Order: sequence, then structure tokens, then C-alpha cells
Amino acid sequence: MENDKKIKVVITKVGLDGHDRGAKIVVSLLKEAGMEVVYLGMFNQVEDIVQAVVDEDADVLGLSYLSGEQLIFTPKIVEEMKKNELDDVLLIVGGTIPVEDIPLLEEMGVERVFRAGSLSSEFVEYIEKNIKK
Amino acid sequence: MMENNIDEMVRKLLDGDRRMLARTITLVENGRKGHRNVMRQVYPHTGKAMIVGITGAGGAGKSTLTDILIAKFRKMGKTVGVVLVDPSSPFTGGAMLGDRIRMKKHAQDKGVYIRSIASRGTMGGLSRATYDIIRIIEAFGVDIIIVETLGTGQDEIDIVHFAHTCLVVFTPGMGDDIQAMKAGILEIADLIIMNKADLEGAETFIRHLKGAVTAADIPEGAWVPKVLPSICVSDKPANIKGQDEIIEAIYEHFAFLHKSKSLDAIKFQRLELELGLILNSELQNLIFKGLKGTGLKKKYINAILGGENDPYSVVREILDTYVLHRKDA
Amino acid sequence: MSQIEEIKADDARTEEEDWEEYLKGYYEKPNSFKTWSGLDTNEIYTPGDLDREKHYKEKVNDAGQYPYTRGIHANMFRGRLWTKREVVGIGSPADTHARLKYLAEQGGTGLNTIADVTYEMGLDADHPWALNEVGLTGVNITNIKDMETLTKDIPLDKVSWSLITAAPSATATMAQYIAVAQGAGYDIAKLRGSVQNDPIHFGYCGFKPASPLDLALKLGCDVMEYCTLNMPKWYYTTVNMYDLREQGITAIQEVAYGFGIAMCYVDELVRRGLHVDQFGPRFSFYVACHIDIFEEIAKIRAARRMWAKFMKEKYGATKANAMHFRFAVHTSGCSLVPQQPLNNLIRVGYQALSAVLGGVQSLHCCSYDEPICLPTESSHLQALRTQQILAYETGVTNVADPLGGSYFVESLTDKIEEKIEEAMAEIDSVGGMYEAIRTEWLDRKLEDEALLRQKEIENGEKLIVGVNIFKSPMEEKTPLGVQRVAAESGQQQINDVKEQKRLRNWDKLMVTMRKLRDDAVAGKNTLPAMIEATKANATTGEMIGTVREVHGYHYDPMEVIDSPFDFS
Repeated sequence: MENDKKIKVVITKVGLDGHDRGAKIVVSLLKEAGMEVVYLGMFNQVEDIVQAVVDEDADVLGLSYLSGEQLIFTPKIVEEMKKNELDDVLLIVGGTIPVEDIPLLEEMGVERVFRAGSLSSEFVEYIEKNIKK
Repeated sequence: MMENNIDEMVRKLLDGDRRMLARTITLVENGRKGHRNVMRQVYPHTGKAMIVGITGAGGAGKSTLTDILIAKFRKMGKTVGVVLVDPSSPFTGGAMLGDRIRMKKHAQDKGVYIRSIASRGTMGGLSRATYDIIRIIEAFGVDIIIVETLGTGQDEIDIVHFAHTCLVVFTPGMGDDIQAMKAGILEIADLIIMNKADLEGAETFIRHLKGAVTAADIPEGAWVPKVLPSICVSDKPANIKGQDEIIEAIYEHFAFLHKSKSLDAIKFQRLELELGLILNSELQNLIFKGLKGTGLKKKYINAILGGENDPYSVVREILDTYVLHRKDA
Repeated sequence: MSQIEEIKADDARTEEEDWEEYLKGYYEKPNSFKTWSGLDTNEIYTPGDLDREKHYKEKVNDAGQYPYTRGIHANMFRGRLWTKREVVGIGSPADTHARLKYLAEQGGTGLNTIADVTYEMGLDADHPWALNEVGLTGVNITNIKDMETLTKDIPLDKVSWSLITAAPSATATMAQYIAVAQGAGYDIAKLRGSVQNDPIHFGYCGFKPASPLDLALKLGCDVMEYCTLNMPKWYYTTVNMYDLREQGITAIQEVAYGFGIAMCYVDELVRRGLHVDQFGPRFSFYVACHIDIFEEIAKIRAARRMWAKFMKEKYGATKANAMHFRFAVHTSGCSLVPQQPLNNLIRVGYQALSAVLGGVQSLHCCSYDEPICLPTESSHLQALRTQQILAYETGVTNVADPLGGSYFVESLTDKIEEKIEEAMAEIDSVGGMYEAIRTEWLDRKLEDEALLRQKEIENGEKLIVGVNIFKSPMEEKTPLGVQRVAAESGQQQINDVKEQKRLRNWDKLMVTMRKLRDDAVAGKNTLPAMIEATKANATTGEMIGTVREVHGYHYDPMEVIDSPFDFS
């Protein structure tokens, strides 16, 4: 009984950042694109997020930042992911991110940054083409 | 996946490797190569956990109840596995799995494993994969498995066939729904939970439910469904109540199953169901494999469309050709 | 065909296609005739669209005359320009203080400080969850010393200070401001300014754990009641329609839902025995100005007329200024995009124009880098300059409500009013705003609307330059640089707070905390006790946490720390 593998995505806010409208829209748009999306909501600590990715065996982890914490939390998440051998999980970031931060985030291990104003056609296609499992 | 990798995978899973548990579930959920082998190896290690099914309409507060029950079971020293089933969109196949949000308190607890899965369009709520996933978590070794499914009609609550104890969750204001399915509820629910019991109309609703239970024609010696109030959505800790009684009732029901020897009957029923499901899918798989590349499937469908044939005759013909014939050969 | 010929033919074809594109652009028409909120518009509006005789006196009237459609003052900006505020909140109280002084020196006329997320949540700087977040999106005020640092050398009786704390912790903010002012010898009755204090809105904005509905109403109205009785010049609430709008709803819903929340407060103040003539004059709103110029102006005019009517007819206001819809505008942050970022300057300019044409009392212009990072010093200054160009160069301040009498604007104002009434009726049908929030009806509505707005962009119904039309490659750097918050800034404050907690006199503190707890238990106004507790070095988290406990909630919204006080 081979059935179509569905792409499984975990979308989350990190820390206390309360701007979740964008993350929720992304969840809905990914669902409409046929993906199975686990939404963790707000107020998540680094370890909790990575544990959820492990338990859900997700293909993609999407972090949403709107309060400028991307350079603080992302390295911690990457480190925790390494600890859990999650090198085959596609890590993407979205939100209000200065262009100057994109190479910094990529260097940390983020595969792609989608700034505010990105269209779903862009990130859906990117995910479909780049999942590693 | 290579067969020896599968062996390795299962060995690690049985050793309590949580990451391997997650990966094994994905493999089986997606029907990837090797999944039969996984299930064959896992099967001997199943059958030890107590399985609790929780079902009810959307917004009934199932996830919040599940969250509190997890905490209570943990306090009792039990390890818990949780399977959260959400519906897949019939149009896009995608799904939003949002129940985990309500269970954050257990995020770092190694004694709790939570997995969100999509129903993937299975009629009747739970797919065969769901049963397999429950088996895998059992083999991983937890004391209790909670399976939460969205039940909006009678045909979507077949968790009852798999769980030891089945909770159906209502809220006041669902009066019309319950009227329509009163008979059905009594058949499937071991415990009827009136959630949000602090809302208006709860008392009347509970009275009606209890009346329905009393009036029902329950055979002597059979379990009489309990109606229990519960409040679990208040922010104020002091207002949250009713869950200790639910846990007590779950154990009471479990003890009843033991005492009345219904446990064996449930095991039998469950196997009957599993066997049927596995047979169904394997048979279909086998036949479609046989038809592949022959162009016959299209021919059959066109014939039915054209009015030259009918589905029953076609299936008979296929069975004759691919199953009965094979057996003869 | 030779290779060269092929290339030539290709070139010709490309050229031809380019010209096709050009012609298509030349003959292009707008792709939609709807307003941003989806209202249809006619090709032209004529006298026939209004019953002008009846229309004017009853529905419009002169500025300064009921129902105040054209403005709350007869002479509008001739009397006084709007207050030019730029929101500041960055790093430690000392850093924020420095930026405030800078903007004041550049001609800013109102001081505006915004709480960071930890402060809004009611967490002290030394809370475990605050570690990486202090000062990131505003300023954290944990104790009286922080407030002293923030207000250092600023004559509090001369300036108008706007304190942006929305959540229940706004009660602590008010206590801290008053405690510092009293300590410095000011008469608080003379203080001018505002506190956002719209704790209900904080609940649906995603911060539910910090803003349980009943506590939000209680603490919010404690501030409103106290200020009404003791600080007659102080605007004790700024109902935040802006954050509602930024969730993705329409201009119509913005006003309807905002009024719904405002009336929760008005009802509670009336229940506490205050008359609307007493508190009405200091009730204010925070409005968004999005990109559709005429719709935003019409929205403001409709809101002014409707609020006056509610206050007069529903609540029995007799004083004119108790009927006034006073509002600050914040240009729309969510309308700005990081693609081609300098375009945001233009968007902000149009939005500020509609605010001024709508008769705004106080304006904050977004910095062009709003969708990128916290504003830098230069982008902050640029936003202030945008306001100054409007105020001093364009001539828009000469005449009150210059668009009054426009067939289109009057007609759109009427239509929006009608639609707002419909949206308010929908809320009534689910049991009123309090119920709509309690049952999460509002959350679901906001989610659905946000998705609709995104779909309008995805399918090209709404066009945004740089996003779904006239795109260009990503810029290489942010034009005026990127604002960073130095980690040391936050860490310094965490250390300070720990030190302050260690040094304070515990017995003195306990006396004031016990009083706060007793007052909360007795259902009294908690602000007087909070002022005294602040003077005894109580912290934001301790004061809010103690009241939370009395109301049956966990001391800590994040549920990780327990109360340090033993009241037994």
C-alpha cells in the first residue's frame, strides 16, 4: 500500500514574540498546497520546538520572527537540531528580516529566508523542490 | 529501505529510541517499502497498553481534556503515548494539525510521546495506518495510549473498535446533534463527557443524557455508560475539575472489562477489524499491481460508463482472473 | 536559417514582444474599482448621491458641531497642529531615554514610549523567559528606578507623554509614572499625556496568558477610574483599533470591533458609578490609516459621527467633549513591505495625508523600515520629517475637513457608517463584544479575514508594487542601515533589576504588597496601592502577579515562577 508521501511541516513562533498572524496564514496556505502542517503557536522554547520536530518526524521546520529575535534564537535552534541529528530537516525562516541578516542566517544553517511580502507560490515551490527526505 | 535497516530500526525502536519511533511511524504511515516487515516484527510486542479513545465534535475541548488527562496519568507514574488525528482536506489533501498546541506542558517530558497525524481522506475517521501507529507506540512501550479523533457523525468514531475505553465529549449547546445520534452514542461511548459543564444548559443536558442511559435497553451484565461533567477550559486552576473522576471511571471500566471477560471479546473484535482492514488493502494492492500496465482498468471503467457492463460483474471477473485463477495455478 | 539569422529573428521577436508589453501598459486600466475594504465605487459621484439639504445639518454639520463629522474643533489645525509623535522603545530605559531626547531635539512634540513584550506580559527583566527578549521591541520597566531613568531631566508637567503599555501591566505603568512624578514633587492633576491601557485588545492579539478577559477589564478600568477622579488632563485609555486592523480586517470592521471593545470599558465605568460626562472627555482611540486614501478619511468621519451619537443617545452625554471621538493615528505597518523598501516612504506619506485630512489629533508615522527592523535613528528622523513636511509645507492645515461636501467622500462616509452598523449588529448577534472575545469568535473572525487579505494579494486582486507587480531583485542592503539592540543593553537591565531586588527593604515592601492584595480581594481600585508598592520598590511582575493570584490565575503568566510573597 504505497501512498503519496505528504510533506510534513512544523511551523512555530519562538520565545515571546506575539505576532502570529503571518505564521497562521502560512499554515493555511501550506495546508492548501497539500501539506500536513503542525502548528506550535506562540511561546515556545528552543528545546520544545526541536523535540516536536523529532516526535513529528517533520520534513520542514519553519520559524517565524517579527520582533527581531532571529539572530538570537536561530543559532540555538540549529545547535539543538544538530544534537538531535536532524540534518535532514529543511530549516526555513520567515518574517521581518533585514537583508543583512540573510547571509548570517544562511551561515548558521538556515536554508532559505522568506521575508514579509513573500507569496505562497514562492515558498510552496521552494519546499516541494528542496525537502531532503 | 534495506531489510537489515528495518531490523535495525525495529531493534532501536524496541530499545526505546524515540527518534526511531518517530521515523518508523512515518514509514508505516506512508506505506513505504518495508512497512509490512516493520509491522510483522513489531506485532509480538503489542497488546500491553491501555488504549483510551477520545472523540467528539470540533470545539468540544477534546485536546484540552487530553492535555489534563496526560498530566494526571503522568502523576500516577504512567508513561503516555498520544495520537492526535485531524482531518485531511478532501480538496487539497493537506491538513492543519493544531492540537499539539494545547499540550505544551509535556513538551520536555520524556514519558510522553505525542504524534499528530492526518486522516488522509479515510472514510470512517481512522485509517489502517492509524491502527498500525498505535501498535508501534505500544511496542515502543508506553502504559497508556490516548487516541484523539474528530467525531462528527456515527461513521467517524470507529476508534471504539480499537480502544479499551471510549470517551465521547460533548458541550452544552450540542443538544440538537445529540438528539440525532442518541442511540449511536450509547453504543459507542463507555464514558459520556459533558465538557464546559460551567456553561448554561449543562445541567439540563446532563439530565437528558442520564435519562437516555436509563431508558436504554442495556443487556444485563453489560457496562452502563457513565455521564460525567468536566471543566477544563478555564484559565483559573481552581475552576478546572472533573478529570479525576474521569480517570477513575476509565480504570473502573478497564476493571469491568477484566472481570466480565469482555477484554477477550474486545481483543477478538479488534483483530477481526484489523484483519479485515489489512486484507482489504493488501488485496486491493495485489490486484491493482496485477492490472498495472495492462490497460484493463481503463477498459473496465469505460465499459461500465458505456453501459455495457456493471461494477459487480467487473469485480467478479477481476477476482476470477487475478485471485481465484492464481490460486488454481 | 543560419545561426546568425536565427539570433536576429529571435531579437526581432523579443523586441516585438517588448513593444507588445509596452502597448499593454499604455492602455492599462485599473484592475479593480473597489475600495481596499471591498466596497464598490461609482464612476462619478454627483449631487444625486446625497440629499444635501437634509444631509448637511443632520449628518455632517460644521466642524465643532454635533455630530462632529467634520472635526471635533471648529478651527481644527488653525487652533493647534496635531501632536507629532514617534514611538520609541529600544534596549534599556537609558537607551530609550537617549532616543527620546534626540527626537525631542529634532522637533517631535510628543513623547511616546512603547513597552517591550516582556513588560507587556508583566514579566520582570529577570524572569527566565525574558532573558533574550528584554528591550528587543520596546522598553521594559521593572521597577521605579527604571521609570526614573526613562523620564530623567524631562519636565513632566510641561510635556505630553504617551505611555504605550496595552496589557493589564498598564496599571503598573501608570503606578510607576505617578510614583515618579509624585516623588519629583509634581501635582499629578496637572500631568498631560496618555496611557494606552487597552488590556482587552491584548488578549486577542495573541497574548492570552497575560490578559485574561475579566482581569483585563478590572485592571484597565481601575486606571480609567483613578485618572478620571485624580488626573483630569490624562487620557487614560487609547482603545487600540489599530492593532485590530493590522490583524487583516477591513476599515469597517476596525471601527465596529473597536467600538465594541470601547463600550466594554464605558459600560464598566458606568457600572462603577461614573457619569459619561465625567470620563467621556478623556476617552481616546488609536486608529490605523491604511493605503486607500478616501476610504480611510471616510472611515474617520463616520467614526466621529457614530461615537458622538452613541455617547449622546446611548449613554446620555450632555457635555460636547464627552461626545468627541479623539484619536491618534498610526500609519499602517502591515501595508509596508521589505521589497523595494524606499517605496514605504511614499506609502507612509499618503497614509499620513489621509490621517491629517481626516482631522487627526496625534500622529505617528511608521518608519520606512517597519517591515525590516526596529527604526534606526535616521529612519525615525525621516518619519518625523514626513510629518513636518505635511504640517509646514503642504497647506493641508489651513482648512477644517477640506473634503467635506465632496459628493464622493460624503457618500462613502454614509456607506461606511451603514456597513459599520451591520458589523456591530453581527457582534450583537453573538452576545456582544465581551462574549465574542470570550468565546474566541473574534479570534476566528480575525483569522479568516487575514487569510482573505493574503489571498487577495496572491490572486492579484490587490496590487502591491514590488510584491505582485513591478518586482525587482532583492536589494543588497537596507538603505539607512539596520537597527540592532545590543545584547549588553538588556543584560545590564537584568543585572540592575536583580541588584535592586536584593537591596530593597523587604518589610516595607511587604506592608505595601499586603495592602495591594487586600484591596484586590476587597474589589477596590488597585492603582493607589500599586503606587505605594512601586515607591517601596515592588516590581511590575510582583504587582500584576499578586492581583492575578487574587483573581484565581497563576502568579506568573508563563507559569514558571511562583509568588515570592507569603501573605499568610
